[in-house]
Amino acid sequence: MDATGEEPAVVLDGVTKTYRLGEPIDALSSVSLSVPNGSYTAIMGPSGSGKSTLMNLVGCLDRPTDGRVLVDGRDVGALSERDRTALRGRTVGFVFQTFNLMPRLSALENVSLPLVFQGVSRRKRRERAGELLSRVGLGERTDHRPNQLSGGQRQRVAIARALVADPAIVLADEPTGNLDTGTGDEVLELFCELHGEGRTIVVVTHERDVAEHAERIVHVLDGEIEGIETLGAHRPVGTET
Amino acid sequence: MSLRAIRSHPLRSALTTLGVLIGVAAVISLVILGASLQAEVIDEVGGEDATQIYLWNAPEDAQGPPGSGARAVFTESDIDELRGINGVEGVAPYAPIGVDSLGHGGDTVAGGDTIATDPSYFAEEAIAEGRAFEQGEPEIVLTPQAAEGFDEEPAVGDQVTITFDDGSEAELTVVGILDSSEARSPFDGFGEGSRLYVPTEPYSRTTTESVGDEQRVYAQVVVSAEGPETVESVGVDLEEYLETESDAATLLPGGFVFEIQTNEELLEQVNDLLATLTGFITGIALISLLVGSIGIANVMLVSVTERTREIGIMKTVGAQNRDVLQLFLTEAAILGLLGAAAGALVGFAGGYIATQFIELPFVAPLEWAIIAVCVGIFVGIVAGLYPAWSAARTDPIDALRYE
Ligand SMILES: Nc1ncnc2c1ncn2[C@@H]1O[C@H](COP(=O)(O)OP(=O)(O)OP(=O)(O)O)[C@@H](O)[C@H]1O
Ligand SMILES: [Mg+2]
Repeated sequence: MDATGEEPAVVLDGVTKTYRLGEPIDALSSVSLSVPNGSYTAIMGPSGSGKSTLMNLVGCLDRPTDGRVLVDGRDVGALSERDRTALRGRTVGFVFQTFNLMPRLSALENVSLPLVFQGVSRRKRRERAGELLSRVGLGERTDHRPNQLSGGQRQRVAIARALVADPAIVLADEPTGNLDTGTGDEVLELFCELHGEGRTIVVVTHERDVAEHAERIVHVLDGEIEGIETLGAHRPVGTET
Repeated sequence: MSLRAIRSHPLRSALTTLGVLIGVAAVISLVILGASLQAEVIDEVGGEDATQIYLWNAPEDAQGPPGSGARAVFTESDIDELRGINGVEGVAPYAPIGVDSLGHGGDTVAGGDTIATDPSYFAEEAIAEGRAFEQGEPEIVLTPQAAEGFDEEPAVGDQVTITFDDGSEAELTVVGILDSSEARSPFDGFGEGSRLYVPTEPYSRTTTESVGDEQRVYAQVVVSAEGPETVESVGVDLEEYLETESDAATLLPGGFVFEIQTNEELLEQVNDLLATLTGFITGIALISLLVGSIGIANVMLVSVTERTREIGIMKTVGAQNRDVLQLFLTEAAILGLLGAAAGALVGFAGGYIATQFIELPFVAPLEWAIIAVCVGIFVGIVAGLYPAWSAARTDPIDALRYE
């Protein structure tokens, strides 16, 4: 907790992540970063700079080789696998560049999947998943399977799934990478809305344009934070600079 | 979700369950056969049969059903002597005779099993209509099944024409119809049959001149004791007579021994046979269930690899290891269950057909269906343990990277 009594959503403290395949590669080296509660952060950097590695750590999918990662005040590296999974399920919503939807499940079932593992009843799951699909504008497509949806629709299903457990933190790794500008904008608008609701948003992107919707941009290079850029007013979606 | 995975690969799932299916089907049909055989024997051993003693001879160490391989050695005078043993109620020689055909009212049917015997072969209550034949009379007793073989069923009092396999014919009067077509002794074989019974005098033609005057001689004899409690002592006296004073002892070929068997012993023998059968069944069951479980394990491993990405997705959205474990174990258990259930159906059908074919009563041990289903689930779970465990262990990041 800091002096204001407001605890940051995520704290990275001297985090190093080393991959050992043959000779060790430091995907991240001694990275420290604090992501305040309710903030909107963009992460930019060239390919291979360690952005996805960083997101996996923040998303409690992975543990640091060295240093500490605190999510919602809890030390991810010190948690058991079981507690880490539970923290991930309840606190973090993850949106992937490649959607990562279950091919055999319908949109509604995909969205309700996280609740299955939290022991929510079937009726409540369907209700909640239906609400979220309507919210992302897919209320009419609940029974479609991923291969019956367009790229933008799939990404919206993935966002609905990330939100179904009402997470405080929403992480997105290249959420617009596979989308055209129009559908990309719709997705970004959704993130702005979520930010407006007080959620903490972290988006990885290599497009400056996308990054500028955030309150600040963290530049990553070769596994290190190169600089943090604070943006002024929140730019509405769709307006070109 | 497990069901969906199975349904998305119907052929593969069907082939996977084949091992379990065949194993369970084999076991259940054999169990039905065994139970049916046992029921048949117990049925026969019950009641009047408990007082019967079966007498024949066979080469030493011979295996086979009662009466098989027996030589005609028991002479008419032996039969008379046996009748004199204390506690004996009746002695019926048993002599299958060759009959080509049987005619009645212009209709001719194949002879079936024709046996020359003594009226004491039939208990009074076993005759549904009429009476037993009398020795020396041209009379015949039929099983209901034999009577039903004719378009116009012969009734008590009707004449039938019997053609022996040497071509000679005889006119006989039907004097009795039995209450059932079931075998009346192990010499009759098992189950229902079309059987004709005629008196040994004059129809049994095997004779010997080696001992005294020419007289009839038989391979098989049924002795009825006065009650179940005298069976044992009669058996002892019988054996003593046969071994010492009988014509049979003189006529018995070298290497042959007398076989004296009560129904109780027969039942024991069947139980021994069933024990062997049970061992055999257990062997088949184990082997096929092993093969079946290897099949399930194999398909589950393929399925886990194929769905690595899906497993990764589930884990990133909060699936615990035990959720994944449970999912795959359920899938394996369902595969095992499906195999076992289908196997049980096939087994019951197979057992039914087999019992009909060898004319045994159909006894369906339903508890075996339940056992089969439980075993199927168990095999599925055991086979699924390793694949499910390896699925549960999957690292979500690696899994998502998996193409
Ligand atoms: N599982 C792994 N094993 C070995 N090396 C890895 C692994 N994951 C990532 N790396 C390495 O770590 C470095 C950072 O990878 P990362 O995926 O974080 O990059 P990125 O910034 O997300 O790139 P992109 O923009 O292309 O997605 C790369 O050099 C990569 O080769
Ligand atoms: Mg990346």
